Amino acid sequence: MDNNNKVTTQVIETEVPMGTIHSAALEPYRLRLFVEDEIVRDAELTIGVNHRGIERIMEGLPVEKANSLTEKICGICSNSHIWNSCLTAEKGLEIDIPPRAEYIRIIMGELERLHSHLLYLAHGSEVLGHETFSMRLFYIRETVMELLRMIGGNRVQYGASIIGGVRPRCELDEMRIQKLTEGMDYLEEKIGEFADRFVRDPMVISRISGIGAITKADARRLATTGPTLRATGIEVDLRRDMEQYEPFEFDVITQDTGDIKANLLMRVLEIPESIKIIRQAIKDLPEGKITNRSWEMQDTDIIRSYIEVPRGKLYHSYKIEDGRVRNSIVRTPSITNINTMEFACIGTHITDAQLAVVQCDPCFTCTDRAVQIVDHPLKKIKTV
Amino acid sequence: MDTSMIIISLIAVIGTLIVAFAVSVWLPGIERKFVQARIQQRVGPPISSPGFMAPIKFFFKQVMSPNSPMPKLYNALPLVTLIIVTLILLVTMPQMYFLGAFASIIAVVGLLKIEEIMYMFMGSLSKSVLSVNMPFPDRVKGAKHIDATRSFIEEVSTLRAFRLIAFGSFPLYIALFVPVAMAKSIYLADIVGYQQLNGPILFTVAGVIGAIVYFIGSMILLNEYPFAIMKTKADVIEGPYLEYMSKYRAYTYITRGLLIFVLASLFTTMFIGIPPNILSPGILITIAVAIIFSILMAVMSAFSPVFTFRQFYPVVAATSILGVLAIVASFL
Amino acid sequence: MSLKSYSRARAVHVMLVYTGGCNGCDIEIVNCILSPKYDAEQYKVFLTWNPREADVLVVTGPVTKHVEEPLKAIYEAIPEPKAVVAAGACATMGGVYKNIHGDIPSEEIAGPVEEIIPVAAKIPGCAVRPEDVLSGVVAALPLLLNAK
Repeated sequence: MDNNNKVTTQVIETEVPMGTIHSAALEPYRLRLFVEDEIVRDAELTIGVNHRGIERIMEGLPVEKANSLTEKICGICSNSHIWNSCLTAEKGLEIDIPPRAEYIRIIMGELERLHSHLLYLAHGSEVLGHETFSMRLFYIRETVMELLRMIGGNRVQYGASIIGGVRPRCELDEMRIQKLTEGMDYLEEKIGEFADRFVRDPMVISRISGIGAITKADARRLATTGPTLRATGIEVDLRRDMEQYEPFEFDVITQDTGDIKANLLMRVLEIPESIKIIRQAIKDLPEGKITNRSWEMQDTDIIRSYIEVPRGKLYHSYKIEDGRVRNSIVRTPSITNINTMEFACIGTHITDAQLAVVQCDPCFTCTDRAVQIVDHPLKKIKTV
Repeated sequence: MDTSMIIISLIAVIGTLIVAFAVSVWLPGIERKFVQARIQQRVGPPISSPGFMAPIKFFFKQVMSPNSPMPKLYNALPLVTLIIVTLILLVTMPQMYFLGAFASIIAVVGLLKIEEIMYMFMGSLSKSVLSVNMPFPDRVKGAKHIDATRSFIEEVSTLRAFRLIAFGSFPLYIALFVPVAMAKSIYLADIVGYQQLNGPILFTVAGVIGAIVYFIGSMILLNEYPFAIMKTKADVIEGPYLEYMSKYRAYTYITRGLLIFVLASLFTTMFIGIPPNILSPGILITIAVAIIFSILMAVMSAFSPVFTFRQFYPVVAATSILGVLAIVASFL
Repeated sequence: MSLKSYSRARAVHVMLVYTGGCNGCDIEIVNCILSPKYDAEQYKVFLTWNPREADVLVVTGPVTKHVEEPLKAIYEAIPEPKAVVAAGACATMGGVYKNIHGDIPSEEIAGPVEEIIPVAAKIPGCAVRPEDVLSGVVAALPLLLNAK
């Protein structure tokens, strides 16, 4: 789909800056739009507000403490961070995780994907100007939040994973399993109704189809990741390669067009897949203990771990010295998606530009930790 | 005309204005509480809060100098708009028909145009902290296009206000000329008189089409969602109103409520033949139309996203064509 | 109750400023306004994105150096009477980022909020619960109502 996504070489005259505090943004970022008669010709996303220096303050922390700090990188995908950070330590220290703990982690991970995708859809609707859709989605999302609160004890930062398993608090007894099952049934019904309503709304469809389209080639060039990449038609999902997900059956959803409609539908269609995984996990939940406490701390080399999180590929790495974390690096999906966001803005109307940023599911709190060296805005990107 | 006539007319005019204000402050609350909140399955605010208590609250806030090259002019604009909207109501009152050319459709259209132009002035005079003025280091070494001219988000909405004047208000004005074509006179007195003889224009084919066009046109004029291109939350936040605070913001709140009432009362005058007049029971119909208008608008806006030009232009063009059809039908 | 206090209590406009927290509080606050389950509007609390309209400024996050100036600018743009509510552990005391005591302290954090602008009410929690946000905004109300 041709969307005029080309940076024109002419002198760009007018800039419309937005942010860092803006009604369309859930996070503080600065969006500089270079416009020509309300059509965006180039865009720049300036982040940095959320830079708190997480990797630096992680330096020298005990591993357990560092793990719980990674959770505070992001309030949307907090579980993914602590999960991957624990996985990193477990990989280095060669700890076996009890299968029951593995399953509970996956249930938490998928619940988080549900709440993240629902938040994405609700935020997308809000930026579309459709308050009613947004509120309905927030209402549906409340089910997931209550389930997360039930299992983890908190609505946002639940901290389920610890080294060697999950916290005793997160044990799934029969009552909780019952509630999870009911919640999943309710969610499936509601999201089905919503999807029906959503794709039949002619005004919404005319707003979102064909806007901010990214082609396959562009997605590869811009190193797009996660659902945004899958929405362009490239079937890449790290869950296929993760051993934790081996026992589960699920489909990797793809769309063809890569525009906002494809991105929104992508998330809607991924929700039933997550529900499917949770149902399988509940059904086959292995018996046994949930924490393996028989492990010893030792020094390790740099350990690396990748997992698939709601927004794409998450990378954690550090080495352990005297039980303390050194040389920590976290690379989140949104950092690679920033280029896609800027690119998706080009050629759209100003009103659509924020939507084009939102379609890549930005999470700048995740992103704001790395120094970014950019040779050319669209060519090469290297994180340090 | 003897003195008692003048006094009665004066009481009628003032009474009608008071009723208009009294009704209009409740309209935003009705929209929010009874329609949108109900559609969104929530409790919603008290009916008095959005339109009545909020302006009163703003009257008690501190007055600061707005970020504007001409603060005094900028602050005067909402009051001017309020006066213009009140004038529209005044010229449609039957007591004012002796004004001749001023009590005609031309005066109404002219006043509505001035009301629209006000947004352009507001937009170009407002320099909010939310865009260019934000002290954020974004034009640093390595940033893109450092030499580009920077434009406030209000300037974007000024451009859109201009488009609304040039293009967006067509449907409303075309619809206003359907009764003119049927009554074959631009004077409000003649249009009202025609309808008292021949029954309301609303109940003719041309009148029904005209009413639909009028409704969509007034939504565009009021900048209700989905036509809220001038104050889209997704980019320009509140557009021209961004810098108004305290009592000046209160005026903008009151103006908005009053404009809904005025457009509804104009509709009642032009399409049903009942001018706003406190001394006749017809005022009840005016009030009912105002409430129905705001309920319909709230339903429309609750179920639609905001339009960009891609949707806005075709909708306006289609509605204008419909309006032209209505005028053609009125000659048949 | 005078008309002044009454009208102030019947329409409270809340503005949110994110100052570099983890997003958890931000989403919970948006949730308590947009979610029909909490629906802040039934308590006469309205969300606005314009400092000129706001009465209560809800600040989340530990205030990083980059956002210190914008936060001040936003605060100064709000006409009196105004109240600031610091929501979440980061806004109240710098949170985990300021107080984790690793080998290297974070140099990015200028907060907590009260070091930059005066704070009227603090909402604890990491992340804040929507119920707490509403009660925090209500706790700041007397300051607004009794101001001249």
